Amino acid sequence: MPRRSETRVLTLALSLLASLLPAQTLPQAEALWKARRYQDANEVFRDLVAREPRNAMIRVRWGRMYLEHWQADEAERLFDEALELKPDDAGALLGKALVAAEVYSGSAAGFAERALLDDPKLVEAGELLARLALEDDNKSKAEAEAKRALALDANSVQAKAVLATMDWLADKKESPWDPHAAKGYETAGHFFMLNRRYEESIAFYRKAIGLDPQLDSARSQLGVNLMRLGRDEEAYQQLKTCWSNGFQDSATRNSLTLLDSEKNFVTFRTDRTILKLNKKEADLLRPYFEAEMRRAIAVYEKKYRWKLTQPVQVEVYPDHPDFEVRALGMPGLGALGVTFDNVIAMDSPSGRPPGTFHWDSVMWHEMSHVFTLAITNCHVPRWFTEGIAVHEETAASPEWGDRLGPDEIAAIKNHQLLPVAELDRGFVHPVSPPQVVVSYSQAGRICDYITEKWGWETVLAMLRDFGASDDTATVIRKELKMEPADFDRQFIAALEAETKRTVENFDRWKEAIKRIDAASASRNYDDVIRLGSEARDFYPAYVEHHSIYEALAKAYLAKGDKAAAVDLLEQYVHAGGRDPDTIMSLAKELSAAGNRKEAAAVLDRLNYIYPMRSEQHRLLGELWLEQDNSTGAIREFQALLAAKPIDVAGAHYDLARAFNLNRQPEAARNELIDAMEIAPGFRPAQKLLLQLSGAPDEPAATKK
Amino acid sequence: MKLCALLLAYALASPAATYFLTISGLGGEPDYDQRFKMWALDIDSSLKKAGDGNVTTAIAPNREQIRARFQALAGTVKPDDALVVMLIGHGTYDGVDYKFNIPGPDITAVELAALLDRVPAARQCVVVMTSSSGGSIPFLRRPNRIVITATRTDKEATVFARYWAEALRDPAADTDKNDAVSALEAFRYTQRKVTEYFDSAKRLATEHSLLEDTGKGDGERNPSPENGEGRLAAAFTLVRLGANAGAAHDPAKRALLAKKEELEQAIDQLKYEKAGMDAADYRSQLTHLLLELAKAQEALDAPPK
Repeated sequence: MPRRSETRVLTLALSLLASLLPAQTLPQAEALWKARRYQDANEVFRDLVAREPRNAMIRVRWGRMYLEHWQADEAERLFDEALELKPDDAGALLGKALVAAEVYSGSAAGFAERALLDDPKLVEAGELLARLALEDDNKSKAEAEAKRALALDANSVQAKAVLATMDWLADKKESPWDPHAAKGYETAGHFFMLNRRYEESIAFYRKAIGLDPQLDSARSQLGVNLMRLGRDEEAYQQLKTCWSNGFQDSATRNSLTLLDSEKNFVTFRTDRTILKLNKKEADLLRPYFEAEMRRAIAVYEKKYRWKLTQPVQVEVYPDHPDFEVRALGMPGLGALGVTFDNVIAMDSPSGRPPGTFHWDSVMWHEMSHVFTLAITNCHVPRWFTEGIAVHEETAASPEWGDRLGPDEIAAIKNHQLLPVAELDRGFVHPVSPPQVVVSYSQAGRICDYITEKWGWETVLAMLRDFGASDDTATVIRKELKMEPADFDRQFIAALEAETKRTVENFDRWKEAIKRIDAASASRNYDDVIRLGSEARDFYPAYVEHHSIYEALAKAYLAKGDKAAAVDLLEQYVHAGGRDPDTIMSLAKELSAAGNRKEAAAVLDRLNYIYPMRSEQHRLLGELWLEQDNSTGAIREFQALLAAKPIDVAGAHYDLARAFNLNRQPEAARNELIDAMEIAPGFRPAQKLLLQLSGAPDEPAATKK
Repeated sequence: MKLCALLLAYALASPAATYFLTISGLGGEPDYDQRFKMWALDIDSSLKKAGDGNVTTAIAPNREQIRARFQALAGTVKPDDALVVMLIGHGTYDGVDYKFNIPGPDITAVELAALLDRVPAARQCVVVMTSSSGGSIPFLRRPNRIVITATRTDKEATVFARYWAEALRDPAADTDKNDAVSALEAFRYTQRKVTEYFDSAKRLATEHSLLEDTGKGDGERNPSPENGEGRLAAAFTLVRLGANAGAAHDPAKRALLAKKEELEQAIDQLKYEKAGMDAADYRSQLTHLLLELAKAQEALDAPPK
């Protein structure tokens, strides 16, 4: 290590040398960037900014390099700095628009339009507006913007790509706008992905890298889309190639990580289903998922009159970040499940806090996409497939599905619902996060409304029309015999009438909730009952955290009125309440009151919300044993064992009793041996073993 | 094998008394005060239901009152008896000493150890269910004393006591089905419930319970023969869930009892040899032995002719 005096000399020498060298320039930075020497380019940009702190353009170009290098946050910071220096800088505004577009933010178009005001010849801003319009399925705007960009630059690849994609999405084999360029085909691949037409998306990405093997952004998306369709081997190869080439964006990195974690999963195949579960919860979840997949397929095949030609694959992720990787690059926020052709990826019931989601409802929702996508050959618009899926949640069971939420109430009250012909915009480019949730709900209610007023046959006819590439306005005119604007008026009038009481009393309900919480905290149960009884019917659909049902039930329990508490909890469950602790407490109260059959039904419902706790399986198994439902008891005690209970010996014994009742003495003996291997002195198990050894043909009498 | 023999020895010996002292400390705010008191009373109720008469519970006592409780125990408890002390509340550890938060001056782990040492019970179990409780282990550990702590030195309030109370009354805690919950069974039960509590709330676990019963260790998350911890705790009965002591006093059944013991030892031996055996052979021998054991137990349970 040099001494301090030597270091000082060295520093002086380097400074002198730097002052003698010619100053670094913006073209040098750009050249280094184009050569993918990002670190070197970064140094030059930093020096340039230090030398010219008032130059907005340098910051804009630096930001664009960051954006290309998958560092959108840093890029946006530089664009903001540029805008502070020059508030209307077209390049900075375009940068902001590009950052927003990457995450499907509704603000992207506004920034691009402002950029064009500052520089009407900024072709890239026009190209982006065309792309954003097509993402919203606003074809007329997309065409106009693309042609405006082409008027500025007749060779604009992106403008041509948007126009050509519109032709290809409409199933035209040839397009006069074919860009014949790798980046143009990459854009087409993006739109086919967005329209859930993954096979065609893959074909365009292949075409893109066929023309330019160095276009790693397209190769990465090829890998991601192959993974979506379950072609993991090739997906891994393509993504690995990107990684080796230095293309290491989050999609590539996270997808590779997920593919590397395959060893943690196990796949179960039947003739109709492929179920991929994490090994740590596979034994517990498999019976419930497999049975529900088969049931959903059978119901939908009849309802949609469509026979699936291949099994449906469901992938269940206990770690939400893994699921997020599967949904990466898709518009929409906070999704619980996602469908790619016949592959469904979803959160495991263990992947979210208990009571915050209903896994079976999500599975039926996603399964309906498999049908609507297949029937329309993936031509169904997003609002309609999501609307049907939301409709199906409650059609499967009135207790399922998301209820009218505060965001929807606010949207109804403030007249913020989108026209049906523009509803896709709410999914793809929401102006705020709640707009996605509101759009799901609105689409679902539109499908409810069509089903009630025109019948399910009309829904099927609309699906066929969408399959023939008709757009929303055309389909509404054809099947509902009215203009989309008239439909909007009628639908909104019906929705407002249905939700009138809740919308009008929403503020009173909010105030009441606060007072009920305060009364609960101070154990003033008379006030809880008085306030809760008054306010419950203002908003009966509210079953989330701090629901009035639960507060009232607790108050009644505290006052010793168990019957009233049970009545409230039953209302809560029927209204769609999902909190496992509350449902368990209802089952226990019902059981204690002798309503064992109802208690079993309540616990069975819990299995389709949150089946992770051993206690619920033990209780349900016991109730079903009592009710001579040995098949159900076997499933529950097997689930109990799979849930790795504290009392393993007891769980084996319980399963033995169920097998015994089911006249499977050998299986019962095996379970008893397993129980007594852990606890040799386990007397009830010893007694049953002796009984089974004496009279193998008849079920031995057992007791808990 | 040795563990089993030790368990059996305790089961057959004339049961000495077990004395329980539960202390809830200061919560610092009404919610925690209430919670700690509720858990202490829950433990009290579980113990009393199990029929153990020597149960004392103190809610938020000061140092003098705690000293007085220990002094009373020191005068009553005999060397053959067992002592279980359970502390619920907040604790602090500054890297030097552990303190249990009580009204007035806190009580230190050093003082607690001195108070425990004065009680003549040869077998002791101390359960420290507070934040930072792992810091108490170096001061409280001693041969023939089990020290269980709710956490290492983590500072967050713990939920261990809530599930410890459950362990004392839930038959599921009795995993070997001998109608008694040992300190090790209660520790494992509680540890599992606490883990489930954090898992189901999708929260990062902030408490990591430990058990030390060798008199020289730092506490283990998973007591096992490999790390040498848990042997004393396995043989330390906290509560009895049923009547399982009658046969030892009946001379007519001593031969059956001896046969039963022989079979239990043979089963233990077989389980020990399992790894090196053919699976079908192991299963067949195990089934035979378990059936014979069941028959011996049936004969023992039969009313005298």
